[in-house]
Amino acid sequence: MSEHIEDPTSCEEFQEDLTAIALGTLSGRRRSEVLSHVESCPQCAIELEQLSVVADAVLHLAPEEDPPIGFELRLARRLQADAAPRQTNRFRRVSYLAAAALIVVIGFGVGALVGSQNTNNTSPSTTANLASATLSSHGQNVGEVFVSAGTPSWMFMTIDSHSWSGLVTCELILANGKVENIGQFGLSGGYGSWGAPLTSPAGQVRGARLITASGVVLARASFRA
Amino acid sequence: MDSDTDGVSDEALLSGMAVGDDRSGLTFVRRYQRRLFGLAVGIVGDVGDAEDVTQEAFIRIFRHAQVFDPRRGSVSTWALTITRNLAIDSIRVRRGVPTDPEDRVFVELMSTARLPDAAALASENVSNIRSALGELPVDQRRAVLLAALYGRTALQISEGEGIPLGTAKSRIRLGMARLRTTINIEEAL
Repeated sequence: MSEHIEDPTSCEEFQEDLTAIALGTLSGRRRSEVLSHVESCPQCAIELEQLSVVADAVLHLAPEEDPPIGFELRLARRLQADAAPRQTNRFRRVSYLAAAALIVVIGFGVGALVGSQNTNNTSPSTTANLASATLSSHGQNVGEVFVSAGTPSWMFMTIDSHSWSGLVTCELILANGKVENIGQFGLSGGYGSWGAPLTSPAGQVRGARLITASGVVLARASFRA
Repeated sequence: MDSDTDGVSDEALLSGMAVGDDRSGLTFVRRYQRRLFGLAVGIVGDVGDAEDVTQEAFIRIFRHAQVFDPRRGSVSTWALTITRNLAIDSIRVRRGVPTDPEDRVFVELMSTARLPDAAALASENVSNIRSALGELPVDQRRAVLLAALYGRTALQISEGEGIPLGTAKSRIRLGMARLRTTINIEEAL
């Protein structure tokens, strides 16, 4: 890097362009010229760095919003498709495995949901031991419950009831009539997704229900024997 | 350093993702999907397009997790910047010519009123940035948002707003300069 310090008065002509670079709206030759100047001008380098922090800060202001149901599975599939052609080195293979593993973790949960929406479903084989059931509330479909047989067995559910926020308790109804409380999770604006390992065999699960803190059954699902 | 209640930093999650730790990837997706989707849908407007943008952003984050350099900024800013750039590209491809953004996010950020939910949940730093933006003259605030969120150049803003190019440049520059003096740069994010 040059030790040359630019005449500060010559920096004035770069002020608007420094702002544009920080905002990501300057390209082409002019961008190269300005960045070349920045390399030799500590004052403009600091200016650009600080303007960039400001520009980045604005991005943090966008309110959070839930993506559509099934987002995670669709993402997992795209990750797998993206990784498959690029297995050219160890890291790529590892990344591919990570994507595949993500499908195992996410796929068993949301895979059947997408499958129920798409008759041409090509769910990954990892969903082969899945059982799914519709979560309903007052006759309306508000989500899905999935139970995966394996070691360990897992359950996963996603719900979008548009009506309730707070902690809910998840209970499983087993074939022997027993009711098993397997944990709690939070709903925000009626939406939530949650998974947990099972202590009973997956094949024994006959139903599931979500119960609010006040004891109201928010939604329930029934599995076929 | 960004961290969640589980104590695992974003940087640690990226490191885990880079070496194939599936739990790190899942935690990262769950931690960021609402933020990235919120930004994407704010820019592109359409839910389906926003999902495409958000998924592509995650794919790039997974793809480049191993080369993320924390010295160049926070993971959250990196992830949001990727999403923002993809969203802007999406708009350009779809619409060709940028249109006037009248989506909810833009309208909310233009308002000086306190956001009901987001502001309540936002960190102190984000609240400070929001306040600083709200203190800008409305013309400067609009110009800064159009440039920072929607990637509008000064020329596009001048054409869209029906103002001289020099005026558009001045609004952006003055707005950004004023934000810089009111935001604590060291603790901005």
